[in-house]
Amino acid sequence: MDKIALLKRLLDPKKIAVIGASKSKDKVGGIIFRRLLGSRRRLFPVNPKETAIEGYKVSPDIQSLPEDIDLAIITISAEAAVKSVEMCIKKRIPNYIIVAGGFGEVGAQGRDLEEKLTSMAKKNNVNILGPNSLGIFLPDENIDTIFVEHGDKSLDRNGQVACIVQSGSVGVEALGYAANTGYGMRAFVGLGNKCDLDEIDFLKYFSQDKKTNCLGFYLENIEKGRQFLTSAKETARKKPVVVLKAGRTHTGVCAVSSHTGKLAGSDNVISGALKQFGIQRVFDDEEFCDATKVLSMLPGAPGNRVAVLTAAGGYGVMCTDFIENNDKRAKLLMAELSETTKKRIKEAAFPFAACENPVDITASADDIMFSQSLDALIEDDGVDIIICIAFFAPPGITENLIDIIADKIKKSDKPVIVFTKYGPFTDNSIKNLFYAGVAAYPSVGRAVRAARFLVERTKIKQRLDQEA
Amino acid sequence: MEKRLKLWFENLEDKEHPDEFDAKQLVNLYSIKVPCGKRLKPEDGFDLSGIDPPYVLKVCSSHILHKTELQGVVLNNDNESVQDNFAMIQKRFPNENILVENQSSYMGPEFIIGIIKDPALGHAVMVGAGGVLTELYKDTSFRLAPCSVNEAKDMIDELVLSPVFENFRGLTLDKEKLAITISQVSWLAHDLGDKLSQLDINPIVFSDGEWIALDVKVVFES
Repeated sequence: MDKIALLKRLLDPKKIAVIGASKSKDKVGGIIFRRLLGSRRRLFPVNPKETAIEGYKVSPDIQSLPEDIDLAIITISAEAAVKSVEMCIKKRIPNYIIVAGGFGEVGAQGRDLEEKLTSMAKKNNVNILGPNSLGIFLPDENIDTIFVEHGDKSLDRNGQVACIVQSGSVGVEALGYAANTGYGMRAFVGLGNKCDLDEIDFLKYFSQDKKTNCLGFYLENIEKGRQFLTSAKETARKKPVVVLKAGRTHTGVCAVSSHTGKLAGSDNVISGALKQFGIQRVFDDEEFCDATKVLSMLPGAPGNRVAVLTAAGGYGVMCTDFIENNDKRAKLLMAELSETTKKRIKEAAFPFAACENPVDITASADDIMFSQSLDALIEDDGVDIIICIAFFAPPGITENLIDIIADKIKKSDKPVIVFTKYGPFTDNSIKNLFYAGVAAYPSVGRAVRAARFLVERTKIKQRLDQEA
Repeated sequence: MEKRLKLWFENLEDKEHPDEFDAKQLVNLYSIKVPCGKRLKPEDGFDLSGIDPPYVLKVCSSHILHKTELQGVVLNNDNESVQDNFAMIQKRFPNENILVENQSSYMGPEFIIGIIKDPALGHAVMVGAGGVLTELYKDTSFRLAPCSVNEAKDMIDELVLSPVFENFRGLTLDKEKLAITISQVSWLAHDLGDKLSQLDINPIVFSDGEWIALDVKVVFES
């Protein structure tokens, strides 16, 4: 079986062995084992010092494990972890997640251990994720091996984003952010030190995964750069690929004596390469979540003309500034509204409403006015994208607006992005909008940036389709 | 191309350090126009045959990095001044070759096209606002080599300078041809392979309906 086919058994295992499972709720082996209790998979804890955990009989050693284990999660420390992988291989276990650090990242001795893992994986045709891996989390499959606290309650909604992250802390924070504001997570994979499985393996897997419609990577180093780029481009023909590449000082050209060498000093090369291969680049975890969220929820944009609908004048003006900003990612234009549209809005709202773009129906607006104005904008041929500034402060606007907007978005072939803010209720509003199927953001700048991701994606898709 | 590259390489006097004349012959193999000129050795006599005025005189050595600053370049020579200026450069650099070229007139801005070798991703091609101030403008875009003509057009579109191709102040510069040139340079890097460390064409300018490389530098891996 090839690596990618084997991965299916890692990400959706039937039988899981937890090496180092513990009674203690503070130990990694204890936390992970308990997380898996909700997985509805068959679990096999292994620990010579325990006999029973949470009603499960504990095997004293790896030899006593049954056949056909799909995945072994190794929760013990570096040296012991390597030994247990050796023994598990004799039991013909095909997949491993190694949680412990203390490998390549700490020095020569750790590097030796890591190399041992690499050669074991190669020789025996098994998959090893990690070491130093945060684990995997697939809400739809009820699989969660992540031992640190992460918000997961608002993630289990048929999510379609596969997040593949190298660093643990950035990954966890992205998860937390995503959970706070609603996010459709299909899968979360902590790559760790990449002794065997790397970003390319998961790229290939989730590229073919029917439940995934957008892939996001957080990477610090891309050893097989060209191979990753080439595979990612194949994926980008079908699904958006977003990369957060940290470590931007990417010089390495020794003894630079040319202008080109000096100008390449920062990470211009990687930026150019990502563009060339149809990959959308982001620069921090917030942007990573914002981009993957909108790209997963909306199919792109037919053009770059944006209409803004607001009940708060100031944010309408601010939004216009952001739209007209010269941003290299994608150019946006303020849409010119047709006379019919203006007339419709005037009739729906007030004679004194500003019917030019940005459309300000003022704080006296109510749900119906908002709804009818939105209809008019969606049906205007000169509009490609709509940004709704949804405020719940005006007395005429109620929580019902969420369902009204959601309903229209579902029927519209134009993307509608929402900016909403309401003091301490902001995250909740965004989450409720998400549950209703609406991509919402807590700042004007981020809502406009989300629109740029859609325009950028459509351009990439058109270019790749043309090439094919 | 392989054969012609091999021949070019065999003709190098210094196999590790091609000079400007060598570098220009190299890019010319990839259909990139360079000024008509010749490289005169110290023992050669003064010879302008086959080159039209006005002339550029340049000291031609891979070891001299900043030839302008060392007063190793004289522009705007006519038939009368050229011999004296030649003698002056020869006196300043008695052991070096001198490049004599026709001086092209051109319109519009100077561009730079370059290659670097990224340790992780291999050769990348760059286009940018060129000239002596190129490192101040930092108006550049990159793609991995080789890159297609369409990709090269995207690179040009990313530059702050890109409106010059839209009839800016009456300029009629050929974007398609510049894109073809960028793509050709990227193939040059691809074909030369690991040996090539860096390459600068700076400036490259639009003259008589063609992009012409006025200065070219090639650096090999040491």
